[in-house]
Parts: sequence; C-alpha cells; structure tokens
Amino acid sequence: MALPFSGRKDGLSLSEALPDRSLFILVAMMSFLAALTLTGATGARALSARWAGGAAQLLTIQVSAPDQPAPATATSPQKTAAGSSSVTSTSAQTRADAVLARLSDLPPGTQVHRLSKEELAHLLTPWLGDASNSALPLPAVIEVRLPKGAEPPADLEQTLNTQVPGTFVEHNAEWSTRLRALADSLLACAALALATVGGIAAMITGLATRTGLSTRRDIIEILHGLGATDSYIAGRFAGRTGGLALGGAILGTLLAIAPLVFLFRMAAPFAVSSLQTTSMTMPDWRSLPDMLPHDLLIGLAGLPFVAAFIGWMTTQIMVRIWLRRMP
Amino acid sequence: MIRLQNVSWRRERKNGTPVLSGLSFSVPQGGFRWLLGPSGAGKTSLLSLLHVESLPTDGSMDILNKSVTADAPRATLMRLRQRIGMVHQNYRLMPDLSVADNVALPLRLQHRPEDEITDEVHAILKWVGLGERVNVRASRLSGGEQQRTAIARAIVHRPGLVLADEPTNALEETQAHKLLDLFGELSSMGTTVIVATHNEALIRRLPQPSLYLERGRLVREGD
Repeated sequence: MALPFSGRKDGLSLSEALPDRSLFILVAMMSFLAALTLTGATGARALSARWAGGAAQLLTIQVSAPDQPAPATATSPQKTAAGSSSVTSTSAQTRADAVLARLSDLPPGTQVHRLSKEELAHLLTPWLGDASNSALPLPAVIEVRLPKGAEPPADLEQTLNTQVPGTFVEHNAEWSTRLRALADSLLACAALALATVGGIAAMITGLATRTGLSTRRDIIEILHGLGATDSYIAGRFAGRTGGLALGGAILGTLLAIAPLVFLFRMAAPFAVSSLQTTSMTMPDWRSLPDMLPHDLLIGLAGLPFVAAFIGWMTTQIMVRIWLRRMP
Repeated sequence: MIRLQNVSWRRERKNGTPVLSGLSFSVPQGGFRWLLGPSGAGKTSLLSLLHVESLPTDGSMDILNKSVTADAPRATLMRLRQRIGMVHQNYRLMPDLSVADNVALPLRLQHRPEDEITDEVHAILKWVGLGERVNVRASRLSGGEQQRTAIARAIVHRPGLVLADEPTNALEETQAHKLLDLFGELSSMGTTVIVATHNEALIRRLPQPSLYLERGRLVREGD
C-alpha cells in the first residue's frame, strides 16, 4: 500500500531556504558581465597574438612614381629560375620593379606582394572614394611579410632610397610593440575583471547559503541527530545553489550573446590580417557564427558550468564549515 | 554492546565542571537498562553521550562495538548515529513534514528503496496507532501523537541501540504499557535498550536492571 508522502523528503525545503529569485537573478547578472568580459579578453588576446606575430612581421613599402624608369644606378641581384644570382643592369626597369628586385635579398620565406591597382583603390576608398579612376599619382604599395623571427636589414630603407629615391619603408613592429603592450594590459584587466566577477558570485552564493543555513538550523540539527552526514547536508544545499547558478548563468550568457554578436559585426571590418583583405563593409548576419572565434564560443558555452561549479563549491565549503560547529 | 570505562564529560573541554564523571558500566547486546536518578543527575547528558551527540572528554567509550573518541572522523560518528534510535523528551519532529515523512527519515538517510520505506513506515505507524494519521503534518498532532511518531521514527530502521528520554510522558497508560512491551520485545530480539524515566509504575511492570545516577556519577547499578 502506498503512503501519501508529502513530497518534502527530508524537511530541508530548500526551495524556501534558498529562494530561486534572488540567487538566480544575481548569478544571471554576474554571468552577463562575465560573458562581456570574456569577449573583451578574447579580443585583446587575439589582437595581442596578431601584433606579436603577423603584424610585427609586416613591412609596408611605398614607392613614389612607381612606373617611372629606375635610375641607372639601381641594380639588384636577380635570382634566376635555377636559383643562381646574377647582377643585372635594370635601366629598363621601373622604380617599383627595382624595389621588388632588391627585396629578393630578404631572408628565405619572405612573402613580397605588390598591391594591384584594384587592391590599392579598394584600400583608399574610405579617403578618396572610388580611387580607381583617380587622376592623383598613387604610389606603389608593396606588402612584405617576413618569416617568423626574421628581422629586416636595419639599413633597408636607406639602401632602397639610395637606389630608388623616394621609397618609404614602414615597419609595423615599431607601433605593434606598443599596441601589443596595450593589448596585454587589456588582457590582464579582463582577467582581473573575470576573477572579480567570480569572487562576487562566490560571495553572493556564500551569503545566500549562510542565510539558508540559519533559517534551517533546527531542521539540520534534527537531521544531524538522525545521522545525516555532513556530505549529505552539504550536497543538498550545494545541489540547490549549483542548479540555480547554472540556470542563472545560462540566462545571463544568452542575454549577453545579442550585444556580443552586434559588437562583433561592427568590429569585423577591422579584424583583417592583411592590407589585401581590408573591407569596410560589415559582414552579413548569417556569416557571423563563422566569424566568432572558436575559443570565445567555447568560453561562453563553459561559462554556465563554471558558474555552477563556483556555486556548488562555495556552498560545499560554507556548509561544511558551518556544520563543524554542530554536535 | 555498550562499554564505558571511567568516562567523564564536560561542557567546556578545558577546565569545565564535569557534568558526568568516572562512569564505568557495560550493557550487553540485547540488554535493557532503566536509567534512573533525580532531575539534574545527568541522565539526558548520558543519553546524549551514548547518542554520540557529545564525545567523552576523558575515558573510553564503545558503542555498538565501535570505539568513540574525540578524534574519530565525523562521517564515522554519523554512520554510527544512524544505527541508534533516539526518542527525545521534546520529540524533535519536522513540523512541516507529514507523519509518514517524519518516520521515513532514518530510512531515507540510509538510502533504502522507496517501496521498502513505504512498507516499513506503514507497518510501524499502524502499530503505534497512527495508521489513520500518516498524511497529517507533525505540527498538527497532539502531544501523545507526536511522541508516538517520535518513537516510530526511532525504531523504524531497526537500530542496534534504542535510547529513550522519558518516552511515556505524554502517553496514556495503555499506550505507555504497549510501548513498554515493544521495548521488551526489541530487547529480546537483540536490540540494546536504555530508557530514562521517573515513572515507577513502568519500572515495576518491566523489572530490568537499572543505572542510577546522582550528580553525574553512577551510584548504583543492578536490579
């Protein structure tokens, strides 16, 4: 014969001792902040990595009057198809070709690319509008990507200028070092902010748990008298707070995704790795999921579980410490 | 088996006045003892000690063949407490739980299957005369009903040791005699029973050895 049990199995009534509204909403807010901070951290890390790697290895060379013949003094070692070098007079060469020929001296693995007229026009569109039919004399822009760890010759600009006067070399490492330091600082701030959010979440959970324990003191004493172990009581409380934290964090993370996607769409045109791929148009909404960094997606997916773990662990510790005072 | 050797207990571990001092006695498995003495003699304190709610400050104590020491792991003490049934003077029921849920607590803490719990709880509540009150909240029970619920909860899991502090206070004579018969039956089935009481009539009805306390000391032991 079945007994009409009340359904409150052990009398702790945790739905009353730890109400779902306050903790749930507070954790949702904390998770919202954590998701935004995580995105900032991911962005700062990506920029730092880019400036440490790609951008720092990039040289941009401008050659004025690129299609004029190079001065007769401009000679360069030409690599033949067989790989042997020979010195050739380049009086028939254009200034741009002379610079390109000179750049073949750079370390093996160096990628040299002269931007086409279309690429150059595209790059200048924000300033000049449609620059493809512009009457302005445009320089040749040569993008040089050095292999990792390689340094350009210190006298590169001087050498090029001697041979092809009016050549300007911009080495991105000069400004990327500062930007990288800035990105690293942002990353440290983001990590500190995440740790603070986690600490506040732990404190909120701890306070809620302590309140719940105080309201259930008599019940816990009875359960203890019946032989309920510390693990049992801590597990019951931690299960409740862990569940609430998980639910709150899922809500907070989902709410954060909308502004994050919007921000990413806005930032997408700036997240380019090369002058050739620069685009001033914002990507289509449908292509955004592919653009979001995978490590950010993994971080956002893991956020609710981290919040649940913080809630669960904080409660376990709090309850066990509190129970130590019990007979 | 219960064995105490020169056991003392102070509320404050250091420099406190001993509430119990120099207690030495043993009760074999299935033994029955009345715990007697004037108010303030230390009967409730001794029952708390035997229920492992407090630990001896001096001496050695074995409960159900387990040594109970101040440095024993808490989980071990809790598991030992699960094998002890305790009837408190103030019943200590969960006011918001039904009679059935209150009685089921010791079984649930032992993770027994729910169908087994249902059968055991039903049987014990029928026996104590609360078969029609299973779904009533404990806070709505009369004093006698609360006491019977507390007794049912103390014995539903068939503990190795049953401790009772004035268990018949709120019971009618018929119920008190019935409870006494139950304690006698439990004892004959191998459960050690220790009952603190002032009720002379009960002692006469079930003549068993007694432990007589005065000012925290065991002054007399035997029939």
